[in-house]
Amino acid sequence: MFLQSHVYKNTFRDSVYLMRLSSMLRELDGVEGAEVIIGTDHNKKFLRAGDLWTEEIEQNAGANDLIISVRAVNQQKAEAAIQRALDEMTKEVDRGDLAGEFVPRTFETALKHMPGANIALISIPGRYARREAEKILEAGLHVMLFSDNVSMEEEIALKQKALEKGLLLMGPDCGTAIINGVPLAFANRVRRGNIGIVAAAGTGLQEVSSLVHNLGGGISHGIGTGGRDVKDAVGGLMMLQGLKALIEDVQTAVIVIIAKPPEPQVTQKVLQAAAQSPKPVVVNFLGGDPEPIRAAGCESALTLKEAAEKAFRLAGGEPAAAPSANFTAVKEVIEAEKRKLKPGQRYLRGLFSGGTLAYESLLMLNQAAGGIYSNLALEPRFRLTDLFRSREHTIIDFGEDEFTQGRLHPMIDPALRGNRIVAEGKDPETAVIMFDLVLGFNAHPDPAGAAVEAIMEASAEAEREGRHLIFVTSVCGTDEDFQNRREQVEKLNKAGVLVFPSNADASFFVKELLNNLLTEHR
Amino acid sequence: MSIQSLLNSEVKVINLGLEDFARNLKEQAVDVLHVRWQPPAMGDQNLLSLLDKLK
Repeated sequence: MFLQSHVYKNTFRDSVYLMRLSSMLRELDGVEGAEVIIGTDHNKKFLRAGDLWTEEIEQNAGANDLIISVRAVNQQKAEAAIQRALDEMTKEVDRGDLAGEFVPRTFETALKHMPGANIALISIPGRYARREAEKILEAGLHVMLFSDNVSMEEEIALKQKALEKGLLLMGPDCGTAIINGVPLAFANRVRRGNIGIVAAAGTGLQEVSSLVHNLGGGISHGIGTGGRDVKDAVGGLMMLQGLKALIEDVQTAVIVIIAKPPEPQVTQKVLQAAAQSPKPVVVNFLGGDPEPIRAAGCESALTLKEAAEKAFRLAGGEPAAAPSANFTAVKEVIEAEKRKLKPGQRYLRGLFSGGTLAYESLLMLNQAAGGIYSNLALEPRFRLTDLFRSREHTIIDFGEDEFTQGRLHPMIDPALRGNRIVAEGKDPETAVIMFDLVLGFNAHPDPAGAAVEAIMEASAEAEREGRHLIFVTSVCGTDEDFQNRREQVEKLNKAGVLVFPSNADASFFVKELLNNLLTEHR
Repeated sequence: MSIQSLLNSEVKVINLGLEDFARNLKEQAVDVLHVRWQPPAMGDQNLLSLLDKLK
């Protein structure tokens, strides 16, 4: 083993670029580990933990330097990998960021060149986000703050400033928004229409907007608030601002609110505001009490699918066909699949990239499973202690910080989840592997292809041992997305995966399957 | 620009951070200007807080 590093002084690149470069180096022949990373204290800890620490890093690397560190089978391979990284970065500089265009270094310069700009999309490291966002709000622009690691105090300060100025501050940690038909960050290509969404749950917004599109409806706007907005400390500032905006908006006829159950004061404020809406409001507080929602005169939806369907009908749409999975057909499929299982195969392993989808499945399946171990566990006793080892029924959200530290989000790089599909397949107690696929801008170009590769490997190994694995999924996205939902579904079907129209339908199927398996075991 | 104006205007974006976001917007013919953002004060937090105090 040989360890080699290179410190590139006073150099900064965005994190997605660096993580892609790191992944590329790790794929090189003879390379055992590699990181291309900015030398912050936090990242240095990460290098130490990954056995990529060198004397050179210790002596030379600061917070404004870029570190390339490679562990390889020999010196030649390590040096070749370092050289490759340097070549790639030089190429990047030669090519320019956006071919031949003026690329300013600061917001102030950018604004001079684009005086009509009306929104800023910020995805810089969280510790700098408040500083930039404040300047931008001050200049009168709306902000979508994709960055995470922004403190709650900073969030409150920014949102209060936005309110004073009559602006939107979507985020922090806001992954998805659609403004006047323009998808920002992780959003799907959906039809324009009269359904407006305000969401404190990113993949929730993606699922509902995609399902509305797939039903034949369209979206006016999708306003993201960031998940913490519905905590009492933040007070639902942007949820209320977004709701008010959609009530006033001429393009919006029906409003959908999506969030994990807000804290009590926020619930009250949001429902009070919704009760005043002259437009119908559909509310999905994932797993929340539907009674106060109905009492406020709103439509309660228990699943994201139900939210999409109710909004679609209220907006004047008529579903082309029965959208739900046919109950009798489900029973038949369950019987057929169950017969193929070997005794002892009884557990669910849910491997998700979308946080809201993982949470929805956890809510729908927890009771049938008699408790599910998870990093999103509903009860502390079901908190998964070792995230890399499943226990009985398990659901994992691979988008949580534990998995994204120094790695790309699983929607961009499905490798980690793919490995886990293979690992779960080896467990003789695994019966069903459930997962989600999220399409849309900035997501992986072929998530179905990546999943199928892992599925084939897992199935082949299980078959050798006389076991059968049941794979269940849904594809969040539309045929307009560049990955093309229909083609993705076909690819999965060919590989024997059971593909459902929504995450709720997939969860419903798994629930029936678990009920059935548990009855057998009693 | 008020929220209502934003919701009814052509969206014009200044992008700070991940370049892919700008590239994808450009591909959809959205007016976008990417900022090749660098940490201010060369990433030196102490210097940065001093600079902020001077404002």
